[in-house]
Amino acid sequence: MIPVKIRSLVHDYVTRDEEGNLADKKRALDHIELDVEEGQFIAVLGANGSGKSTLAKHINALLLPTSGKVLTCDMDTADDTYLWEIRKSAGMVFQNPDNQIVATVVEEDVAFGPENLGIPTEEIIQRVNDSLKAVGMTQYGESSPNHLSGGQKQRVAIAGILAMEPKCILMDEPTAMLDPVGRREVLETVRRLNKEKGITVILITHYMEEVIDADRIFVMSDGKVAMQGTPREIFARVDELRELRLEVPQVTELAHELINRGVDMPAAVLTPEEFTAEYCKAAAGRIRSGASTENEGAPDANGNNVGAEGNDADMASGSTETGRDNASGADGAVLSLQNVGFVYGENTAFETVAVEGVNLDIFQGEYIGLIGHTGSGKSTLIQLLNGLEKATSGTVRFRGEDIWADGYNRRALRSNVGLVFQYPDHQLFEATVLEDVSYGPRNQGLSEEEVKECAEWALTLVGVDKKQWTMSPLELSGGQKRRVAIAGVLAMKPKVLILDEPTAGLDPAGRDEILGEIDRIRRETGMTVILVSHRMEDVARFADRLVVISDGHILYADTPREVFHHRDELTEVGLEVPQVTQVMQMLRREGIPCRTDAITIAEALEALL
Amino acid sequence: MLRDITIGQYYPAKSCIHRLDPRTKIVGTLLYIVSLFLFRSFPGFLVVGTAFAGVLILSRVPFRYMLRGLRPILMLLAFTVLCNFFLTSGEVVWQWKFLKLTKEGLQRGAFMGVRLILLIFGTSLMTYTTTPNQLTDGLERLLSPLKVIHFPAHEIAMMMSIALRFIPILTEEADRIRKAQMARGADMESGGPIKRAKAMIPVFIPLLVSAFRRAFDLAMAMEARCYHGGKGRTKMKPLRYHWGDLFGYLYLACYMATIITLRIWQKI
Repeated sequence: MIPVKIRSLVHDYVTRDEEGNLADKKRALDHIELDVEEGQFIAVLGANGSGKSTLAKHINALLLPTSGKVLTCDMDTADDTYLWEIRKSAGMVFQNPDNQIVATVVEEDVAFGPENLGIPTEEIIQRVNDSLKAVGMTQYGESSPNHLSGGQKQRVAIAGILAMEPKCILMDEPTAMLDPVGRREVLETVRRLNKEKGITVILITHYMEEVIDADRIFVMSDGKVAMQGTPREIFARVDELRELRLEVPQVTELAHELINRGVDMPAAVLTPEEFTAEYCKAAAGRIRSGASTENEGAPDANGNNVGAEGNDADMASGSTETGRDNASGADGAVLSLQNVGFVYGENTAFETVAVEGVNLDIFQGEYIGLIGHTGSGKSTLIQLLNGLEKATSGTVRFRGEDIWADGYNRRALRSNVGLVFQYPDHQLFEATVLEDVSYGPRNQGLSEEEVKECAEWALTLVGVDKKQWTMSPLELSGGQKRRVAIAGVLAMKPKVLILDEPTAGLDPAGRDEILGEIDRIRRETGMTVILVSHRMEDVARFADRLVVISDGHILYADTPREVFHHRDELTEVGLEVPQVTQVMQMLRREGIPCRTDAITIAEALEALL
Repeated sequence: MLRDITIGQYYPAKSCIHRLDPRTKIVGTLLYIVSLFLFRSFPGFLVVGTAFAGVLILSRVPFRYMLRGLRPILMLLAFTVLCNFFLTSGEVVWQWKFLKLTKEGLQRGAFMGVRLILLIFGTSLMTYTTTPNQLTDGLERLLSPLKVIHFPAHEIAMMMSIALRFIPILTEEADRIRKAQMARGADMESGGPIKRAKAMIPVFIPLLVSAFRRAFDLAMAMEARCYHGGKGRTKMKPLRYHWGDLFGYLYLACYMATIITLRIWQKI
């Protein structure tokens, strides 16, 4: 049996006007050729809009070819006598965990597929138990899906597919809406199913770290297969990938840069462990050949890199100073939290402590990275900052004033402390982009002229093209929506801008663009920025200070460099330091003299050359 | 948190009433409601009340939960009782300006009040002892004979269970949207009803868009899992009658027999 065989597949999305005439034709897939062998772990990579989801829907016969042929488990998808057999053989897990769970009880949801197939009751029970066991969710069989985490919900969805006893599992960006812990859970589950049960897996994603142990990778771009090969072959082509709006894991990029600078290393290094081993080999070679190591800051007797440590201290004090310089308000901080706590559903059965004993001062012009995984209390914390939630204990001050004092204008506060929520779809509602961005300033009671001025200023600032101002926000791409949502808050000219996961769901290039823009906006306006994220790599690059929150408490509030020293403690609360930092620490352990506190690729490069 | 909102009001306990087949409970509740309307006078309620109390004790649902069930209809209850008090003509007991309290009115008001309370008690007992899932299952099975006349029993049950799954999700989403708009300076707490309704538009539109998207996604996910209507579907937990249900139906039969006998022979 051949799980998937695709021959010159073409798919056009056709829109028709009211009379049924052809209004628009968009080619989503353009002569795709693809073969998957039994038991393989296949990854399909591609930027947003590259056609990868469309491809998955073809394999599952949710879409039919405009021309060409798709054979799933030797059955032609165009032949509708095979329809249910195809969907049973190639089960599909979707991106949004909530929108694919049908039943209100986990085990009944897992049973949904077999029930549709008309399997006898006893066998359904057996299959449900086996499937839940295979994804490690047995103890949640009788729970409500609403009480599960994103990762657990995706595992339930996988169990639902397994219960149909498929030969192949298609996963359409199953981890895009999950935090790192959930992502790991899901991937481990899928890998195990692939290895132990020999189920063919086709994983669609734009997270590179997820695909390093795939058997084969297909990279899609503009509806075409742009590259294919093993991870090693693909990841050696760093520059090409970047052109396709993708990236490689940080270690791969670091190795690539080193090679470009003449270090003798293999072209594609995939993991920190591999990098360490290869670099040690290369370093040993260089010493043997007598080449001078160009490490700056010679190590002292104990192997400590004196130069680097000094540099670190400078940078730390530098960033705090810039913060203090522009400080405003009585005690110097723009926002100040004193012993703040928040309890949900106080005095009810659902009472949960979200945040406890938080002390934090945020200064004007600072760039703060707020890190913590789902449920750590970071979402609550940002809502306490602009008065959307009232702290159940402690005080929150904006420019020295208690925001819950009698007569304090909290609506005015919200335009000073702007908060952009994670999903732009939660705030876009007007008919045009410009109107939508005007909503905030209009609420501030500005005159129509001022409203227009603010909205246009904000849209220009985030880089939304003038042509798009009259479009409906719903027609925009993910990245553009995100920009409009940020503009909607910026238009109120806040002093502090809080962004909750502004890059979630964007492809690597889209993510870098948004992060770059936020940094530029901060530099141009002197705004304080608080970026909530669970991607260490993102915050390490820009933030002056990292605030790590876990279980409602602040674990660390320091420069990224200092925070990343605590690698083991961070791992314990489910967070990872950037790969470059990991690599540097591993190299040091191997006896390579280098600074261990590099947090970006540029820094690591400088340290290793 | 909002995620914990439960639709319906299941009271988890292990009792013989909880274990009954949902069909028995639905049929029982329907007959109970009918019986409430068979009486014209108070003594009849004594029979109904006793029969109900027996089931309540067996169900192990505390009585205060029954009272809690009354809370949402308190206004309606007060309105019904007061209307009957003052708008029934007859022997005037007390008068203040145009308001006349009559003896017949008092009687009628109290009668209607008790009837309404017993009605709510009965239906809440059903929802306290049956999970929403069981209810939809039971309803589907009870209505399935109507499939012969193309009544969409399976579709209705499926819609109900999807609604049960998504109402908490959408409630939570509505809250998040509301906050996102409040963060943009929306004022949802002040102003008259019209102003407030207008302030809801920025919440309502994104919620609607999202609900449609979810519906679309879910439909696709269901299709991908081979859903093609109720035809040829099997169940992991098919409804099966047990011995308890036999007793349940016997109890119901005795109850209805008593009531009809009393109604015909005693004319109460």
